[in-house]
Amino acid sequence: MSLPVPKLKVAIIGSGNIGTDLLMKCLRSASLECMMFIGRSFTSPGIVKASGLGIRISDRSIDAIINDPASCDLVFDCTSAADARRHWPILKELGKTVVDLTPAKIGVMCVPAVNLQECLGSQNVNMITCGGQASIPLAHQIGLIHPDAEYIEVVSSIASRSAGPATRLNIDEYLETTEGAVKSFAKCKNAKAILILNPATPCVDMQTTIFAKIDNPDMEKLTLAVKKVVEKVRNYVPGYQLILPPTQEGGRVMITVKVQGRGDYLPMFAGNLDIINCAAIAAAEAFAKIRQKQA
Amino acid sequence: MLSQKRILLDRVNNNIKRIALPMKNIPHQIIEQDCEQVVAGKLDQLAGLRGETLLITGGTGFVGTWITELVIHLNDHYNFGARVKLLSRQELDSRTVTPHLMGRNDVEFIRQDVRAITDLPEDVTLLIHAAASPDTRLHASDPLRTIRTITQGTDAVLAAAARLPRLKRIMNVSSALIYGSQPWEVKDMAENYGGGLLDCASMLSSYAEAKRLGETLVAAYRNEHRLPIVNMRPFAFIGPYQRLDRPWAINNFIRDGLLGGVIRILGDGETVRSYMYASDMAFWSLRILLSGAVGCSYNVGSPDGIRLRTLAEKIATCFPGPIQIECRGLIDGKGKRSKMIPNVSAGESQLGLSVNVDLDSAIRQTILWNQKTSCAEK
Amino acid sequence: MTIMKILISDPTLRDGNHAVKHQLTLEQVTAYAVAANAAGVPIVEVGHGNGLGASSLQVGLSLLEDHAMLKAAREVLTTSKLGIFMIPGFATINKDLRPALDLGADVVRIASHCTEADTTQRHIGFARERGKEVYGVLMMSHMAQGDVLLQECRKMESYGAEGVILMDSAGASLPSEVTEKVKILVDHLAIAVGYHAHNNLGLAVANSIAAAQAGAVILDGTACGFGAGAGNTQLEVLVAVLEKSGLSTGIDLYKMLDAADLVRKKLLESAISISSTSLVSGLAGVFSGFAKHVERVAGEYNVDFRDILFELGRRKAVAGQEDMIVEIADALAKKNSPRSSK
Repeated sequence: MSLPVPKLKVAIIGSGNIGTDLLMKCLRSASLECMMFIGRSFTSPGIVKASGLGIRISDRSIDAIINDPASCDLVFDCTSAADARRHWPILKELGKTVVDLTPAKIGVMCVPAVNLQECLGSQNVNMITCGGQASIPLAHQIGLIHPDAEYIEVVSSIASRSAGPATRLNIDEYLETTEGAVKSFAKCKNAKAILILNPATPCVDMQTTIFAKIDNPDMEKLTLAVKKVVEKVRNYVPGYQLILPPTQEGGRVMITVKVQGRGDYLPMFAGNLDIINCAAIAAAEAFAKIRQKQA
Repeated sequence: MLSQKRILLDRVNNNIKRIALPMKNIPHQIIEQDCEQVVAGKLDQLAGLRGETLLITGGTGFVGTWITELVIHLNDHYNFGARVKLLSRQELDSRTVTPHLMGRNDVEFIRQDVRAITDLPEDVTLLIHAAASPDTRLHASDPLRTIRTITQGTDAVLAAAARLPRLKRIMNVSSALIYGSQPWEVKDMAENYGGGLLDCASMLSSYAEAKRLGETLVAAYRNEHRLPIVNMRPFAFIGPYQRLDRPWAINNFIRDGLLGGVIRILGDGETVRSYMYASDMAFWSLRILLSGAVGCSYNVGSPDGIRLRTLAEKIATCFPGPIQIECRGLIDGKGKRSKMIPNVSAGESQLGLSVNVDLDSAIRQTILWNQKTSCAEK
Repeated sequence: MTIMKILISDPTLRDGNHAVKHQLTLEQVTAYAVAANAAGVPIVEVGHGNGLGASSLQVGLSLLEDHAMLKAAREVLTTSKLGIFMIPGFATINKDLRPALDLGADVVRIASHCTEADTTQRHIGFARERGKEVYGVLMMSHMAQGDVLLQECRKMESYGAEGVILMDSAGASLPSEVTEKVKILVDHLAIAVGYHAHNNLGLAVANSIAAAQAGAVILDGTACGFGAGAGNTQLEVLVAVLEKSGLSTGIDLYKMLDAADLVRKKLLESAISISSTSLVSGLAGVFSGFAKHVERVAGEYNVDFRDILFELGRRKAVAGQEDMIVEIADALAKKNSPRSSK
């Protein structure tokens, strides 16, 4: 008789919307088990919800892990860039793997559809931004097929309601992080990111368009490659949809995708928050698989 | 467990590159001078502080920091033997806490979100609840957080205070904004003033309405739990430790002056405000905490109003000239004028309070401190 | 009798850039800046049509980089102030705003969609920290009611803006709406209120006058109405009408007319008029800058531009969502054959 495969023990620091949605995804995961849900205040709605689900909770922030290091092997950090930078030296010392959902830019950048396997050797993987997760799989293909493409642009529009006070205060950081990641993955000289908030109701899903300036683009090759990578992304982000295949228009190549969320905790229109969470879970599950193989 | 944690954190801290501290090398002499000036000859008014343990929520803010400075001054120079515990939601490190307060054995730090407080340390005998941010930018961008911090925070703190075995006095830091807008014809607002205008249906009233509810909570706790509690209603202050990027006229004027540029007044300069210096604020706060009539509210602020135009001119003279002054926003038209002046006769007559630092000195000290501080950063 | 003055801000070299797909040259920038300066125009705004950092494949690449345009204007402006415009989400403090301030910009406008003012907090604060004259701008202001606009203006006021300008980016408003909205702001704000009209419904000057009568003290206009689609408020006309109404602007009318003639000769590619595209765009409440993109894409996909515009309006597209135009055209082309009668 074979024993059940042990799940990877994870902790989530940051009990806001992202952390709570991540918790719900963990509960559905076959290979992850959330051992602790950590925030700074027991009044946070996420903590109240986690407690109601019987998950162990704490309001001691990073101290919760310091005081019980054996509780988890992997930590999702959903706090803020500043806090993530404070947490990392401690978690590194404790030998934890960190999946960082803040723009702290500490660890190796991870886009599961592009470089998941290469990331598994790192102790800290960074999930970049929502716009990054949506666009980089496509930007990367453009970079492979047309290494001469010097400039790639990523425009994301999201529902106004899915952008809270923290997002609004840190738009500059979001743009700079996304641009840096696009440049790195597509290996292009220049990149630009644009973020638009749209208050229309009913709330709009996340929509991201990738533009590139390419002389003589091979549209057939691009279209095939794009369709393939979109399927790859859909494996971990079911709501990811290609709504405008590679198109030549006005001297530029453009591709548009839409992301609708699963609605695990956040509303479905918050595809922007969902995609980064789905990517984070995909990364964690890959780490879980390695562990299982080692066991 | 604790030593394990300490070893870990020490190892970790040695590896972290320290970020340049904005508060490093503060010329503490200015603060000490201010504290001495305000307590000299008035020690008896604060005698109730001797040997007590004071906890301040929101302790690392402007109000909390100044009160702490005053207390440690009384400890160092007059053997008051008081202890201060500062409670804050922030990460308590060299960026958020004045360095010379760290490492003192009469000052302790507690990191806690005020909304989730269930217990307060048993040795606390005096409590000041100052956890809230008066930054209007935050109120505009995050009204829900503003409301929750004040309402949930006040409720949690008072519930915990009600179970403290040795608690003697509590002071709730309310706000002058609870009065609503002061009508132009009204000279000043005393604590029983009820004629101000406030629109409860606007998100812009989130801070004021939450603070009003805060005072109602105080009254309810006093009634049900017999808590020995007073309210303090702060008006406007200026002094060291107050950030110049705060969206208030005097801060902006000083900052414009420090930049050597045009001092810009929004409107026609006829708006009237009054400003109390930080050391006076700290003294008044402690006096009200110790001796205010239970269940009463006290205005804290300067009763001497000044037109913004005059204020700008005063500040301009503090800098090597010529500093231009411009009225922005309205050209040749009548400005939208407003007033916010406290009537402080209750504090004066009942508690023997008085304003020690005149506005000119307040401005000079603040500019000096800011200049010394930015020099230290270079 | 007190003469109330109106502060004119002139975005001929910024909003006007839309009219030439952001291809203004150094000579054109310099020539107009000289003329506007001579006419006593208080603020001359320079840049890509969507502001600093907006040169992009999304809204159009500009011929000149931001710093080149700013430098050219800075060199020739003496009494007029140099203004810049930026939208957080397009531009950032590090890449765009700081360099522009270093180049000597005097007046800063930070804009957001009319319901998203809190995205401007950092940027307004940054410019204020440097002692600059900063205004907040609410774009597509036809899309929100007066009380919502007031709340958004109060946010900008708290961040340090010394005035807020309502932008009728779609040229969709009627004078009565303008009066109502401006009045609410003037009654409740301590800071100045301004209005920036577009001419899609032929009402730009009328709307500007209505705004002034309701208490706005800042008005925008461009020479010849140089701007996207049906153009902006025609500045020389506005100045003349204001003077006639007893509201002085400090601008020399003759020299303003000279500046307009210069634009007519050297900047305009075609006369500014209300085309069918612009009219439908105004009715649909769509950002004026979309017009040229819509025309081009409609031609490529062989669909009716009016269908695209009304769909954009139905979806409540905001400034910066030009990528939607292609997606809509593509969907329309797949769904139907093009209208037979047109």
